[in-house]
Amino acid sequence: MSYQAVKIVKGRGGWGSGLTLKPTETKNVVLSVTGGGIHPVAARIAELSGAEAVDGFVNNIADDRVLCAVINCGGTARIGVYPKKRIPTVDIYPGEPGGPLAQFITDDIFVSAVTPNEVSLAEAGAVAIGHEPAGGITAAAATAAVEQGMAPKAAVQATGFMGFVVKFGNAIGYLINTLLSSGRQAVKLTLNTIIPFMAYVSLLIGIVTYTGLSQWIANAVTPLAGNVFGLILLGVIVGLPFLSPILGPGAAIAQVIGVLMGTQIAAGSLPVQYSLPTLFAINGQVGCDFVPVGLSLGESEPETVAVGVPAVLFSRQITSPVAVIIAYFASFLI
Amino acid sequence: MDQIAWFAEHFIGLFNESAKSLLGLITGILPTLLVLLTAMYAITTWIGEERVTRAVKWAGKYSVTRYTIMPIIAVIILTNPMAYTFGRFLPEKYKPAFYDAAVSFVHPVTAFFPHANAGELFVWTGVSAGVLKIAPESYARLAVLYFLVGIIVILMRGILTQWITRLLINRGGHQETFKRFDEMYEAGQIQGAKTEGSVL
Repeated sequence: MSYQAVKIVKGRGGWGSGLTLKPTETKNVVLSVTGGGIHPVAARIAELSGAEAVDGFVNNIADDRVLCAVINCGGTARIGVYPKKRIPTVDIYPGEPGGPLAQFITDDIFVSAVTPNEVSLAEAGAVAIGHEPAGGITAAAATAAVEQGMAPKAAVQATGFMGFVVKFGNAIGYLINTLLSSGRQAVKLTLNTIIPFMAYVSLLIGIVTYTGLSQWIANAVTPLAGNVFGLILLGVIVGLPFLSPILGPGAAIAQVIGVLMGTQIAAGSLPVQYSLPTLFAINGQVGCDFVPVGLSLGESEPETVAVGVPAVLFSRQITSPVAVIIAYFASFLI
Repeated sequence: MDQIAWFAEHFIGLFNESAKSLLGLITGILPTLLVLLTAMYAITTWIGEERVTRAVKWAGKYSVTRYTIMPIIAVIILTNPMAYTFGRFLPEKYKPAFYDAAVSFVHPVTAFFPHANAGELFVWTGVSAGVLKIAPESYARLAVLYFLVGIIVILMRGILTQWITRLLINRGGHQETFKRFDEMYEAGQIQGAKTEGSVL
């Protein structure tokens, strides 16, 4: 099998300057982590390059065999997991750097809003990721720079009172710098993730309230959310093993329903006491979409993933409604 | 003409309504969240990953702490999604249960530690905003209860998932494989995926 270099560019509304990938004998898997099955984009990359497309939801592949990962995440978590491992990542949604792992999502290994049309054979002479000839030089230059930077530091070695002052100054400096960088991290996260979510939720709420749709939803949901059996039923539904992985991504559905329930509670159409069981009923599916990725973050063996995915999904079918019942009894304390 | 005026009025009315809701979220939640996030990031930096790792290794030994203290520390310090990496300190047979416990805590944790899952705040914030509006005196108790019930739920999930995992191992005829994993773990080899690669 001869391998070809492929070029993947961003699609409409996408992000990233494009990837050029070429499989090798040892690095020849296109991992499709799109909630089960091989996504057409993954199939197209595999077809053009000669690599093998593998469903990441049921198989666990060692990271160093993965040529690139194809994901479907417009949210926050999965989008950064593969870039953090420096695995080239192709997002089929128009994702952008965001979430806690935003700093790892760089345009040399990430491209989004990709459809099969954005995948093509690379022109001759294109340099694929991991095949850069200039790598050795940059590494040498970096080492040199580090050595230069390290040298003067050894000179700062005071003793006695001055030593104390220097130490004290360093401690304060460390304290302030940590706080400052924490602040920067908080603002970045707010800008990248929280405010965009607020904007979209607000638009949704605005439309729902202004058109009177919220009243309609309230009428539909209140019988379910307004009594404990309805909430338990909701817990059973979201825990169904074939539904839970679909409802999970980015907690988007749980969050939108959470906001809607909140407005209903504020309006007085749902009793305050039910807020606690509601929190568990709308979120019984948490993480069910993320099991293989979460397990591989814990460095699990492929066999563990194979038994772990069904184990979590089956267990959730039971614990999702039971959590609602526990929360219901606890809610008498509110 | 009337129709055009009607359309214009409602068109802008729709966005004014949205803007009102956005303003409420930004003035109501954002300032507290920003300073809290800053404090939590700083504290986790100061505590340092080494010390946390030691605490987590200890907590992984007993099933009660494995599905309570261990995921709680993991989620608060490492945040979602890096919290699941602490699974590497456990024998293979406990990893799915630990994941289940940890991932189920990423929303209850936001009642007090929003930094731990700042990208998915609105499960808690959405519901609690309603309570804050109509019964502000119940808000704090709801936060405490969400956190505490969350701990009970993750313990239950951990134990049940551990049991189902064992069942699936036995049913699927994987006993030998997992026995070998256990022996490797006993021998001090904790980094699963790096020892064997993909043998499936």
